[in-house]
Amino acid sequence: MNVVACVKVVPDDQDLTVSPDYTLDFDRARPSISTYDLNAVEEGVRLVEDNGGSLKVLTVGDSSIDDSKLKKNILSRGADDLLMVADEDMKAMDAHQTACALKAALAKIDSYDLILCGDGSADLYAQQVGAQLGQLLGIPVINCVSKITVENGAVIAERTLEHEVEILEIPMPAVISVTSDINLPRIAGMKQILAAGKKPAVVLRATDLEYAALATIEVLETLAPKETDRKHIIIEGDSDEAIAAFIANVAKVI
Amino acid sequence: MKAFIYAETAPQMSALCGCARAYADAVEAVAIGDELKDAALADKVFHIATQAGVMVEDYTETIADLIANEQPDFVFIETTRRNKLIAGRIAALLGTSVMTDVIELAENGTAKHLVYGGAATRTEKATGPVAIYLLGSDVLPNHDAQGANEIVEVPFITPVSQVKCRSVAKKEKSAVNLSASQTVVGIGRGIAKEDDLVMIRAFADAIEGEVGCTRPIAEEEKWLPREVYIGVSGVMLAPEVYVAIGLSGQVQHTVGINRAKTIIAINKEASAPIFKQADYGIVGDLYKVIPALTEAFGK
Ligand SMILES: Cc1cc2nc3c(=O)[nH]c(=O)nc-3n(C[C@H](O)[C@H](O)[C@H](O)COP(=O)(O)OP(=O)(O)OC[C@H]3O[C@@H](n4cnc5c(N)ncnc54)[C@H](O)[C@@H]3O)c2cc1C
Repeated sequence: MNVVACVKVVPDDQDLTVSPDYTLDFDRARPSISTYDLNAVEEGVRLVEDNGGSLKVLTVGDSSIDDSKLKKNILSRGADDLLMVADEDMKAMDAHQTACALKAALAKIDSYDLILCGDGSADLYAQQVGAQLGQLLGIPVINCVSKITVENGAVIAERTLEHEVEILEIPMPAVISVTSDINLPRIAGMKQILAAGKKPAVVLRATDLEYAALATIEVLETLAPKETDRKHIIIEGDSDEAIAAFIANVAKVI
Repeated sequence: MKAFIYAETAPQMSALCGCARAYADAVEAVAIGDELKDAALADKVFHIATQAGVMVEDYTETIADLIANEQPDFVFIETTRRNKLIAGRIAALLGTSVMTDVIELAENGTAKHLVYGGAATRTEKATGPVAIYLLGSDVLPNHDAQGANEIVEVPFITPVSQVKCRSVAKKEKSAVNLSASQTVVGIGRGIAKEDDLVMIRAFADAIEGEVGCTRPIAEEEKWLPREVYIGVSGVMLAPEVYVAIGLSGQVQHTVGINRAKTIIAINKEASAPIFKQADYGIVGDLYKVIPALTEAFGK
């Protein structure tokens, strides 16, 4: 089976800083793979290991994602190849634009049986792109999938909702968004990282695709909250005296 | 202004219908089945009779079609995992995007939601003709629910997609309601093994608190149910006291507790970000500190 795992490249939130005017500063934030998309990649690797076929990673974003270190990082996770669409016209797309762009990019791929998405992106976490993509492609789409097996050409999926767990039979091709506890993404070793450099990576521009989606959401502002004032009374060390001092402190509130 | 409501549960159907009055003079709802129809409090209720052998998702086309015909200004959809999918599909059919997990909605329709794991709040508005929101009534100002509830029967549009539901198992309900608890003990990966939860529970009992956790404790270790992990993608709390034990204090977690009145942190690394947010803290081994606390407060 041919699997496509969709991955978003996001600024690494470890490197985000808040400016004095409460706006976010991304200057030092390197592009990184959105955490939960690693679960989509891992599930793709696992499905191909079990059922044969190939795994392609698909990502769309602005021109900064066309970064050789990042491409190597993506390909070291077990995919066979990468299709990237990197273009300034694809900066900060909303869910609808992203799904339209992914659909246009998928038109460049010969055939696919299953498209996997992560639970939500680390930056916006709207959990919408998989749903939109499935609808735009006119194929079955299901979210919150916590287990996948393949049976007679259909996906048998366990779907975990708030109060119930469904077992679903999904004909392929389909779009499935997986939960973050579906698997534990493997860490790439030296061998995988070296091999990643030799795997095919195709980079396209927006003009190579049939893509013309206008923004549907206007962002007015993005601001960090004002920090709550805290007392910051911290005891160093865990000697008996230190613990006694700590107990005396917290006894005021508990 | 016209608002359109779609909810999965009866209480949210009633509540969202009421809240919508603050934003629109005309309120319409779409109800699948009789229970939701009876829960609606709107001017008009579009009723789709329950179909045999279909999933809730299979009503998506019918709902989207109604919205396209009725042309509301606002669509309020109850936040649930299932509705994340249904709302996204509706938006795709209408050529727009959903504003998800709304935490505040202004009268003019601009919405706020958390981004970057809770490190920031984003304010946004729809640029197309219809604005779709995923939200719960708790984030909206209350308003008296009222309406003539004129019932309009709507024919079901058979969908093209054919996902088959083989079985549904009810999940066991976790007995804990963290949001209602005044004292919450939160644990993280600093806990070495599942057995150590006994020590944590003893401490929680001593201070009459409930136990919650970080995401990895629920999702990777699976030591506690998903319902008790705290943070941007879990539960958001505002207790009197939060005791953070062996957790680093990443923003995705701390947005769920930063409305706590007092935060107490126990972590062996002085550089752990949780100390920046703490009122009281101790840099030490939780395995030494917790038993001492239990001893001191258990009396
Ligand atoms: C999109 C997205 C959404 C997320 N949503 C959430 C969410 O809602 N909630 C959530 O919690 N996380 C969430 N996360 C994950 C989050 O980023 C962190 O990875 C997670 O909160 C870290 O969990 P932790 O503090 O338990 O583990 P760690 O970060 O590993 O911290 C463990 C801490 O324990 C301390 N420690 C170890 N041993 C001891 C000891 N013996 N005594 C004392 N201290 C000790 C260590 O010093 C360390 O600080 C999300 C991530 C993403 C990308």
